[in-house]
Amino acid sequence: MTENEVLIQVDDLKMHFPIYRGVIRRQVGAVRAVDGVSFKIHRGETLGLVGESGCGKSTTGRTMLQLYQPTAGKVFYEDIELTALKNEPMRHMRKNVQMIFQDPYASLNPRMTIRDIVAEPLVAFGTASGKAIDERVRELMGLVKLDPDFMLRYPHEFSGGQRQRIGIARALANNPSFIVCDEPISALDVSIQAQVINLFEDLQKELDLTYLFIAHDLSMVRHISDRVAVMYLGIIVELADRNEIYKNPIHPYTKALLSAIPVADPDFYETHDRIVLEGDVPSPANPPSGCRFRTRCPIAESYCAESRPEFKEVSPGHFVECFKWDHPDNKRR
Amino acid sequence: MTNYIIRRLLLVPVLLIGVTLIIFGMLQLLGPVERSALYVTDFPKNEKQIEGIIKKYGLDEPFFNQYWRWLTGVEDPVTGERDGGILYGDFGYSRTASQEVIGIIQNRFPNTVDLALWTVFPMLSVGIWMGVKAAVNQNKFFDQAARIYSIIGTSFPTFVFGLLLLMLLYANNQWFLPGKMSDWVSQLVYSGEFKQYTKLLSIDALLNLRFDVFWDAMRHMIMPIITLSYISWATFVRVTRSSMLETLRMDYVTTARAKGLKENDVINKHARPNAMLPVVTMMGGSIVGLLGGVVITETVFNYPGIGKAAAEAASQLDVVTILGLAIFTGFILIISNLIVDILYAFIDPRVRLS
Amino acid sequence: MTEMTTIPSGDNQLLEETKSDRKITWLERILGPDNYRIVTGLFKTPASIIGFVLILIFILVAIFAPVIAPPVGSDPMKIPRDGFSGEPKGPGAEWKRNVPEIPFWYTPLTGNEEWVHLLGTAQGQYDIFYGIIWGTRTAFQTGIIVVVATVLIGVILGSIAAYYGGWVDNLIMRITDIFMTLPYIMMALIFSSVLTPILGRSLWPPLIAMITFGWMGYARIIRSDILSIKERDFVLAARASGVKNGRILFKHILPNAIFPTLVLASLGIGDVVLGFAALSFLGIGTEIGYADWGQVLSFARNWITVLNRYWFIVVYPGLTLTFFVMGWNLVGDAMRDVLDPRMRGKS
Repeated sequence: MTENEVLIQVDDLKMHFPIYRGVIRRQVGAVRAVDGVSFKIHRGETLGLVGESGCGKSTTGRTMLQLYQPTAGKVFYEDIELTALKNEPMRHMRKNVQMIFQDPYASLNPRMTIRDIVAEPLVAFGTASGKAIDERVRELMGLVKLDPDFMLRYPHEFSGGQRQRIGIARALANNPSFIVCDEPISALDVSIQAQVINLFEDLQKELDLTYLFIAHDLSMVRHISDRVAVMYLGIIVELADRNEIYKNPIHPYTKALLSAIPVADPDFYETHDRIVLEGDVPSPANPPSGCRFRTRCPIAESYCAESRPEFKEVSPGHFVECFKWDHPDNKRR
Repeated sequence: MTNYIIRRLLLVPVLLIGVTLIIFGMLQLLGPVERSALYVTDFPKNEKQIEGIIKKYGLDEPFFNQYWRWLTGVEDPVTGERDGGILYGDFGYSRTASQEVIGIIQNRFPNTVDLALWTVFPMLSVGIWMGVKAAVNQNKFFDQAARIYSIIGTSFPTFVFGLLLLMLLYANNQWFLPGKMSDWVSQLVYSGEFKQYTKLLSIDALLNLRFDVFWDAMRHMIMPIITLSYISWATFVRVTRSSMLETLRMDYVTTARAKGLKENDVINKHARPNAMLPVVTMMGGSIVGLLGGVVITETVFNYPGIGKAAAEAASQLDVVTILGLAIFTGFILIISNLIVDILYAFIDPRVRLS
Repeated sequence: MTEMTTIPSGDNQLLEETKSDRKITWLERILGPDNYRIVTGLFKTPASIIGFVLILIFILVAIFAPVIAPPVGSDPMKIPRDGFSGEPKGPGAEWKRNVPEIPFWYTPLTGNEEWVHLLGTAQGQYDIFYGIIWGTRTAFQTGIIVVVATVLIGVILGSIAAYYGGWVDNLIMRITDIFMTLPYIMMALIFSSVLTPILGRSLWPPLIAMITFGWMGYARIIRSDILSIKERDFVLAARASGVKNGRILFKHILPNAIFPTLVLASLGIGDVVLGFAALSFLGIGTEIGYADWGQVLSFARNWITVLNRYWFIVVYPGLTLTFFVMGWNLVGDAMRDVLDPRMRGKS
């Protein structure tokens, strides 16, 4: 957690999904799910990635792991360029980079026992065999606080929270250094969410893990993140240390997201206004010109449509993409 | 929707070529000698003549040469006359029926159409009605009876059913008759007094205002109609019922009820139109099947349609006729499937509005 | 296991949670959750139990045919003939020539010392009882051979199409379309009669014909199932775990995609036997006098005008055929009901 070595570096990553129309299926356009995303993640830290549905955060995570073929851009793990690797070498990299999925009901093969599910990464690389597999599975289940005696059960015998933990155990099988957590608690009951987050943190300490934690809710990532990035329509609009972003949000979108978090204090709303965004999210196939957020931004001006603002470091470690980052209109909360 | 239709149309030539290739390919499995014997009316006794025939019709040439020849015919280098060629409408000469194959088609196909015409309505209306009623009265008596019927119906072989019908309605008491028309009717038709506008006996009877002929036609068709229908009813009941049940479970149906609509309206305006989509697909298939697949029924009832012609030709190994009838049937089916698919595009809003 | 002693407080709740209340029987352990559901589902409704019982009866008849109807002559599949007279005899008629041995059950059950034609004879004096009993074997043979072959062909083609996509998929699907356009019975008829001069009159021409034109349904269904399973999260998770493609296909995709195909296959046996009987009825396929239900039924074609007199030629084989197909249809329907709600939602 204290080392500043960069483990993951993402350079201008783009993921466009083609749209085919017409009789002969010509490509007429593309859904620009991820449209130029760059960041670094240091060893041991957690980068939270937040945004509303459809902003491209899940796609970013999957594209980083080469589960989709990126349209452009580079991804580095340590100093190895993942995007340049062919299929088989990339497959071997999957010992180091892993993923935890959102839907605990869909991410486990219903026909496999827990033991087989958790052991599969071991079998895929021959990391363990025979009895060693069972031992390792027990160890992993213990790590995620599941009773190892339940190894031979099937996923449908477990609750959502338990299944999610099975997914975590599977991800940890080959001792990865980096894990993309794709909305891992969004599908769980609220009462379980806190416990699972605690589990994530404990595991991070114990196993020296690095996380990209994807969520659609700022309050969810607050606890676990060291830094937070806010995504909108395929690009990152603000990136800062955790405390900084909650205390000092600059981009109007970040502010709107934060103001949507309910505060259990009636007096609070006497002095603070809810920021409600107008309009609908534009289509990712056809993003607005210039600043993408301008169609819903409460302080947008005409020049916001002409060109995209620079992703600027306005204070140490705090990046914003907005023309009016220090404009008087853009009030502090 | 236009894209869907265009792409569907582009499929037609692919299907035509593919179908002709397959059928022609099947026939090529027979050696040239056997095939030569079947291209001429009387089998020549000595080798020389057989060889001559093989040469003339190119029966030992590579596959595609023969295919092309079959499509375009053989051109006599001297006279310039063309002999044969599917594309020119010459389907060859049928050994077993002693007439041109095209003649067989012209005589027999209208009978099949006639039968199909009168089967469609009972087939669809009864089947769908049963299915909807069964779904709406789920698990009550009608539903149970309908389900039993659907199990029995899909297990009962058509030809056995046909034979039983013949046993009950014909052998005993001659209420209904196999075949197409009684002797007096055929005499009437061939005498020229009876004008054949459409070549469909029942329709022509009506157009000629001869209701006695019409009734005779019906007497001959009722048994095949019931035979063709009962199995469709069994399948329709099952598909309609399950589709209806699934639709009735949907949230939007519950919403309709919660809005206070009369149950009848909920069923007829909301549930049924949506439940009908898979049924319509099936309907299309059934109707198309009536035109091409009634070989067994026609044979059991001795009904002179295309199906029976195919069965006769096949049992005698009349290669030319088999080929011709198969191609013709394939062609009809391609067209009917196309029509059904296009109509479906208009019905299904998901396709219509895409 | 020692890790658990270092858990910070408050996490014991997570551990408590994993005790599952549902009792798992030993049978489920062995079969796996899916197969267990199928087996229990098959025994739930009266309809499927009846189907099962019917199939069982037929299996027993097929196995014990030599005991039920002792063979006369060297080939049991040739129906024994009591002479050559052209007049069918009704049930209970005396059996004079080519009389088989008396099996142990015969006298106690029927009270007769000598064989009679239990179900009558057709023209040519072919014994209908023998035709039905030994015809059971033919039914199973043809049904199983054709279904296994068509499922294999269909699954292989459908999997290739779904796995490779692109032009391979397009090509295979167009070929499937072409074959599907052609009417099944007519094509089977034609192909079968083409093959008969080449292969001789046996079971093989109709079997090969039916296989050639019967694989398309399976190809389509496995293809669409694979395409939809391919997108599921657990397949993506397997890729993310570093599992190789081949193993993903065989361990993750196919086992989950195969069930609708199996349902179709069990219903298919019924359809195949019906189709084969239809071909035999039309005179295509086996030779006259071969023990096959359709073959026996084809004898009825000569007696259309007097069917009420010779009803036994139609009724006995017809009912047998119906019950056989019904058994498979009932089981197939039950399977479909078991798997359907499952297919439709969460795992």
